[in-house]
Amino acid sequence: MTEQIHYQISAFVDDELSAEECAFFVRRLERDPDARAKLMRFMAMGAVLRDERLPHDAGFLRSRIHDSLDGVAPARRAKPRAAWSVSSRFLKPLVSTGIAASVAVLALFAIGGGDDLGLEPGSGAPDQALQAVDSSVAPSYVVPQDPPFGGAITPPIRYTNYLMHHGEYASGLNRTLVRANVVSIREADLVVESEEAFE
Amino acid sequence: MTTFRKRLSQALALTVGLVALNVSAQDVRSWLNRMGIAVEELNYEGTFVHVRGDNTESLHIIHRNEAGSVSERLVSLGDAGREIIRQDHEIQCILPDRKVVLLEQTRNISPLVSALPSYSEGLESHYDFAVIKTARVAKRPTQVIGIRPKDEYRYGYILWLDEETAMPLKTQLRDENGEIVEQILFTQFDVLEAIPSSVFESTIDTEGFTWFHPPKANILHSSSVSWRAASLPSGFKLSVAKQSPIAGSKYPVEHLVYSDGLATVSVFIEDPKTDAEVAEGFTKVGSTNAYSLTLSGRKVTAIGEVPRETVRTIAASLTSE
Repeated sequence: MTEQIHYQISAFVDDELSAEECAFFVRRLERDPDARAKLMRFMAMGAVLRDERLPHDAGFLRSRIHDSLDGVAPARRAKPRAAWSVSSRFLKPLVSTGIAASVAVLALFAIGGGDDLGLEPGSGAPDQALQAVDSSVAPSYVVPQDPPFGGAITPPIRYTNYLMHHGEYASGLNRTLVRANVVSIREADLVVESEEAFE
Repeated sequence: MTTFRKRLSQALALTVGLVALNVSAQDVRSWLNRMGIAVEELNYEGTFVHVRGDNTESLHIIHRNEAGSVSERLVSLGDAGREIIRQDHEIQCILPDRKVVLLEQTRNISPLVSALPSYSEGLESHYDFAVIKTARVAKRPTQVIGIRPKDEYRYGYILWLDEETAMPLKTQLRDENGEIVEQILFTQFDVLEAIPSSVFESTIDTEGFTWFHPPKANILHSSSVSWRAASLPSGFKLSVAKQSPIAGSKYPVEHLVYSDGLATVSVFIEDPKTDAEVAEGFTKVGSTNAYSLTLSGRKVTAIGEVPRETVRTIAASLTSE
C-alpha cells in the first residue's frame, strides 16, 4: 500500500497519470491527509535537492488536474523534466525514510490549505401552459429557531435556495452541474462584484 | 462549359456540405434527446470530479426512477460533506458545515419535463453542432459532441456521452473564448437494475441542525406573476412563471424561467416584505452567473449557466405588467 502511494505520487508529479488516474488520485488527496502530506514532502525534498523553491501553494496540483481534465491530451508542459524524472526515481526510497528531515524542509515553505486544490423583445407570454400550484399539500413554515449564522437568511443560503429551484428547470445537460454547485458552494466563493467593477 | 462545371461542382459541394451539416445537427439532437431521457430515467450511480475555477471536488451520485418516481442523492466527498436528496418534488439540502437543512418543494410543476429544454431545431439558430470523435471515459466508450454558441449570450459545451446510455460522462462548459468555465468528469459510472430506498437516506446526524421549511402557500397562480423581461437575448423564451415557496422565507418568491433550449435562466423576484439579504451586483460560482438589483422595491436576481451579460440583460429589463 505504501509502495502504491509512492508510485502514484511519483507518477503524478512526473505527469505520467492518465486523466482518470489523475482524478482518482486527486480524490484520494482530498480524503487522505497522509497522502497529501506525503506528496508535499516528496515535492519539498525534490525541490531542495534541485535547489529550487517549492511552489508557494497547491496551484501546481490544480494545474496538473486541470491539464489532465482538459480532454485534449495528457498535459506535457515544457519544464526541466529530465532532472526531475531522474531525481524522482532516486527519491522514491527516500520518501519513506526521510520524513524527519522533510518536517524541517516543510517548515521553510508555505503550503496551501488542504482544500486548495442580438437582442429582441420578449413575447411576454409563456410558450407553455403555466401551472397553478395547489396549496392543499403545502407544508408549514417553521420559524427558524436560533439561526446559527446570525439574522435570518444570509446571502449564501438564499443563493442556495435559488440554485435548488433553478436546478429543477435546468436542462439535463446542466442539472448535475447546478446541483454540484449547490453542494460545493462556499461562502468565500460568493464574491459580489458591483456593476462598475464588471464594466 | 468550364464555368458551368465549376458552378455545378460548387453547388454540389455546397449541397453535400449542407446535407452533412444537417445530418450532424440531427445526430446531435438525437444524442441530446437521448441524454435528456437518460439523466431522468436511468437507474445509476457514479462518482465524478467537479472542477470550477480553482476548486476541485469529488461527488457521488445515485439516481433512481421507479415508475416515474424519482429519487436522487448527491453527496460531496469533500470536507463539508454536503448532500442533496431528492424524493420526487421534495428536495432536501443538508449543509453540515452550517448545521442547516433546507427543504424545498417543487410540487405540482408536473409534468416537469414539459418545462425542460427539448433540443428542437430552433437550437441551430443559436448553436453550431458537431459530432467530434469517440473516446473513453470511466472505462466506457463515449461519443464526443461539440456545441458552439453563435453569440456571446450563451456558453458552449463539449459532451462525452456514453454510447450505450447517452449519459453525459464528461461535460465541459466553455466561454466565448473557448476557455473551460466548469467541468464534470465521471471516474466511475454504473447502470443498475434496482436500487434500494435505503441508499437515499442521509447518514448525517442532523440533531441540533436548523431546518428551514417553505412557507405554507396560498393558491399560487402563474397569472399572479406579473413580472416579465422586456428584452431577451435572441432565442430565450419564457417557459415557466410561478410563485414559489422558498425555504426559510415567510413570503414566496416569483420565479420566471427563460430558456433557449439548452441554457436556462431563472429570475427570482422577492416579496417587498421579505428580510432576505440579497447583495446587489454580480456573483459567480463556476459557470453559474447571478445578477441582483432592486426594481420597484423588489429584490430581483437572475441566475443561470450563461455569461454575465445574459443575466444582466434579462434582470435589468424586468418590468411589472
